Amino acid sequence: MQPLAILKPASLSQAVTMHQAEPQPRYLAGGTDLVPNMRKNIQKAQTLIDISGLAELREIRTESQSLRIGAGVTLEAFCEAPAVRTHAPLLVQAASQVAAATHRATATVGGNLLQDTRCYFYNQSDWWRTANEFCMKCEGDICRVAPKSDRCYACYSGDLAPALLVLDARIDIVGPTGTRQEPLAALFADDGMHHLKLAAGDLLVSVEVPAQAGWSAGYEKMRLRGAIDFPLAGVAVALRRDGNRVAELRVACTGVNSYPGLVPGLEALAGKVPDDAFYATLDKAVRKEIQPMASTLTAAGYRRRIVSAMARRLVGKLFAAACN
Amino acid sequence: MNAKPTKGVGERLPLVDGVEKVTGRAKYTADLFPQDALIGRILRSPYPHAELLEVDVSAARALPGVVAVLTGDDCDVPFGILPIAQNEFPLARDKVRYFGEPVAAVAAVDEQTAEQALKLIRLRVRELPIIETPAQARAAGAVLLHDNKAGNVERAVHNEFGDAAAGFAAADLIREETYHTAEVTHAQMEPHAAMASYEPSRDHLTLHTVSMVPYYVHLRVAQCLGMDTSRVRVIKPYVGGGFGSRVETLNFEIIVSLLARAAGGTVRMQLTREESILTHRGRPESDTRMKIGMTRDGRVTACECEVVQRGGAYGGYGIITILYAGALINGLYDIPAVKYDGYRVYSNTPPCGAMRGHGTVNTRIAFESLMTSMAGELGLDPIEVRRRNMLPCPTETINGLRVESYGLPECLDKVETASGWRERAGNMPKWKGLGMACSHFVSGSAKPVHFTGQPHATIVLKLDFDGGITILTGAADIGQGCTTVVAQIVVEVLGVDFRRVRVISNDSALTPKDNGSYSSRVTFMVGNACLDAAQQLKKILVEAAARRLEVAPELVDCMGESFHVATDPDRSIDFGTAAAEALVNTGTLHVKGTFTCPVEFQGGKHRGGAVGSTMGFSYAAQVVEVSVDPDTGQVTVDKVWAALDCGFAINPLSVEGQVQGAVWMGMGQGLCEQTRYENGKHASANFLDYAVPTMAESPPIEVFIVESIDPNGPFGAKEASEGPLSGFPAALAAAVREATGLDFHDFPLTPERIVEALEARERAHRAAQRKSAKPARETVTEGAV
Repeated sequence: MQPLAILKPASLSQAVTMHQAEPQPRYLAGGTDLVPNMRKNIQKAQTLIDISGLAELREIRTESQSLRIGAGVTLEAFCEAPAVRTHAPLLVQAASQVAAATHRATATVGGNLLQDTRCYFYNQSDWWRTANEFCMKCEGDICRVAPKSDRCYACYSGDLAPALLVLDARIDIVGPTGTRQEPLAALFADDGMHHLKLAAGDLLVSVEVPAQAGWSAGYEKMRLRGAIDFPLAGVAVALRRDGNRVAELRVACTGVNSYPGLVPGLEALAGKVPDDAFYATLDKAVRKEIQPMASTLTAAGYRRRIVSAMARRLVGKLFAAACN
Repeated sequence: MNAKPTKGVGERLPLVDGVEKVTGRAKYTADLFPQDALIGRILRSPYPHAELLEVDVSAARALPGVVAVLTGDDCDVPFGILPIAQNEFPLARDKVRYFGEPVAAVAAVDEQTAEQALKLIRLRVRELPIIETPAQARAAGAVLLHDNKAGNVERAVHNEFGDAAAGFAAADLIREETYHTAEVTHAQMEPHAAMASYEPSRDHLTLHTVSMVPYYVHLRVAQCLGMDTSRVRVIKPYVGGGFGSRVETLNFEIIVSLLARAAGGTVRMQLTREESILTHRGRPESDTRMKIGMTRDGRVTACECEVVQRGGAYGGYGIITILYAGALINGLYDIPAVKYDGYRVYSNTPPCGAMRGHGTVNTRIAFESLMTSMAGELGLDPIEVRRRNMLPCPTETINGLRVESYGLPECLDKVETASGWRERAGNMPKWKGLGMACSHFVSGSAKPVHFTGQPHATIVLKLDFDGGITILTGAADIGQGCTTVVAQIVVEVLGVDFRRVRVISNDSALTPKDNGSYSSRVTFMVGNACLDAAQQLKKILVEAAARRLEVAPELVDCMGESFHVATDPDRSIDFGTAAAEALVNTGTLHVKGTFTCPVEFQGGKHRGGAVGSTMGFSYAAQVVEVSVDPDTGQVTVDKVWAALDCGFAINPLSVEGQVQGAVWMGMGQGLCEQTRYENGKHASANFLDYAVPTMAESPPIEVFIVESIDPNGPFGAKEASEGPLSGFPAALAAAVREATGLDFHDFPLTPERIVEALEARERAHRAAQRKSAKPARETVTEGAV
């Protein structure tokens, strides 16, 4: 690790100003993603702008039609907040499966959303990567997972993003050019090296989750162990039931692409009875969307297979549990 | 008459050093580092296999702040735990043989300088073919890791006890299967660390290290530094877990010592988790071909077993491991004939070692799995089949192992009842299953690694003017609780207040030599030595009290804190008075207790016959209950019932902890742990990719202690920590078999493997349906193709 300056801004605007003024800056919140990466020398910084003390980032506010969650709220606080528990139990379900309790005490909502993509050729020590001749994402030329490809296939592995995507969440960003709000889906790009569409100095301020009347939602995460692990695959589902039909369905995946994505093409299932044909269509749509690569020691083929199975049973479970 | 002391043996006593540990006050090696010590760092080979042409350290040496730089040229003395297999150098010399092998080392004034210096070292090499599997190693024309070992076979073992052919001829059912078990590593909580201080004026070296065997470290460090052992002092502070990771001298311990001498000062070295995993000494990947003959009523008539272990790049404990894998086929059941062929093979992977359950685990997985499977074929209950193969006791097995106590039948009864086995096994709901298996382990190797003619264990009790009893022991407490056990034994024998006793351990300048914490020897051997010492001290105290009370010693009742005249209990003196009397004319008392395993316990006469020999085996039986998720292949362990015959529980709380730990470690190997190499390079030298179970997976474990009271153990005690491990994976596989209807021979049972097997069955099923639907003519054509 190189020598490091740690600055504590007093406000959001000061944080953004610091980001423009200081050499090689990075925002630091919980640090559970950034600090291990800095130790491995895969993410670098000369200046850390510690935003963990900014009160406006730590608010959870119920608004008339939505819930607004500060990006600096820790996952632990998030899971314990009554407003979140009543407004969006799905988010608690997803957040409580992030890493382990000690991580969640520090890690933040924003940090979880904006975490770096992962790959076993990338998340290794400096020595290991040197010995393995690096990879495209850091100091190397080729993607070790897909050597003939011209892009990086590092995998997005956040648990909160798919849950927020199926809830149609929006995000607020402050940056050198001002503030903006956009759908969460617009934040991500299908590129392991540049999976976040953020400009230099952009700072995620909050996430807004619209009211969920009539929706049932759930998250399933597959991992080797019940704690610590990133998802080998994760699926979030939100649906509205209308009698014996699925009125609306949203499915989002994580751990199987370089970005967390809503599965497209599910409009075709709106208003359909969840029968075999329904699930065949769902399967097809999910398989088309996901592209797990050999970025984990667990085989990509396995991850591909279980996503469909998880989506299918989660839809079935939510449909069965949903009120007519 | 002797009142039961409050903290003697048999009591559920929290570990005496537990409070220090959980409050963070305990000082581990890295906590002791002085701030002004030099930083030692190791340059590791980025090649799995290469000839070292040049290690250019000139630029590193020239870097300001660098105090010492060493390469393989600086030490040409090989080391290794077995005197007959020392083929490792602290820093590689002619070749590097695994990814991560130390090549050079630096001592510098700070971290940054040390790191920068490593980056300035240039290696010039000629890369060699990488031997990653035993098949590659043994292939004709394969490049040799060590020139003197043809076929890369470090040791081939061929034994036959009894008449295996006759045994198979007498069998009604013969089955043979091959089981593959992945390499696993210890994942001990504390990464490796050491600190060496060299005093140039006196040519003395003091080494603080994380060892389980400070005595062996002492010998090897002195050997590699060419120093007289009298000028070396080894201290073992608190250690955060062993499991066999530190049960031999490790390269970094010698390297830090070499650096300290070269720098003429103190060098501290803290290995990263990655480096600790690369140092390894874990359980080798094994292919175990197991063949069992059984009569219709479930009696085993013969066993034939071939084991191939991928041992890694250097000898280490390898010869012992491959011998253990065969020797402990015996000692659990009554088997009339065993033929064993073992091959320990070199490979370009980190050296394996004596991991918990040394050598016996993978063979046990194979044996228990096949036994259960054959029981099924014969329509017999797995527990019943085991009952039909119990050993008589006492007995001597066909390979010369003595069994003097045998609580296995009671272990089976306990887990059968507690798990509701009779009602539930075979009748579990869909995707759920119950499985069981047995296992055993030695209570100390009856023949030590180095034959010195010395007792197997020595302990000293010091009694001085203050009336305090100080237990001086070289037994290495690595978290398993031996410090507590020796204190309990002394309290039990002397009957004194627990607060009168303290334990000083593991400083070669102060404490008696001890062989260390391996082969579960400490409770049995050091415990017996401690018992001997305490009994002698008691005699001295009773005699002193008799002098002071002016009666014959036979008339003195020792009540621990006081001594009374038996015929006149009101006439008494307190402990301090008796102790003061004992010191008259002699001064400070050092009472030495020893223990030696009689030669008749030291195994059969055949080559390697000492391995597996012990004075007492622990016995264990366990039942495992699982659920399997058919969509994801995830296996959840819902509950475990584990019974252990540990002879006698000197500390039942600690025994339960050991059993839980063993079950849990077996669960790791059974479910999810495996090292991974890609092109000879470790791909999982971290705790995300090397998946040790977390508390989230930890099932409720119901522990039953069976006390068979071994005739030779201290108070009847035997080992309690390794035996209960090796039953788990086979019990797990049996439970998964009930849940899925599938046999698994590849461990660990990862979700990936389960899903693959379920899908393969589904495919086969569909294919069979298609085939039966096709006209006969086409089937014939298919067959012709």
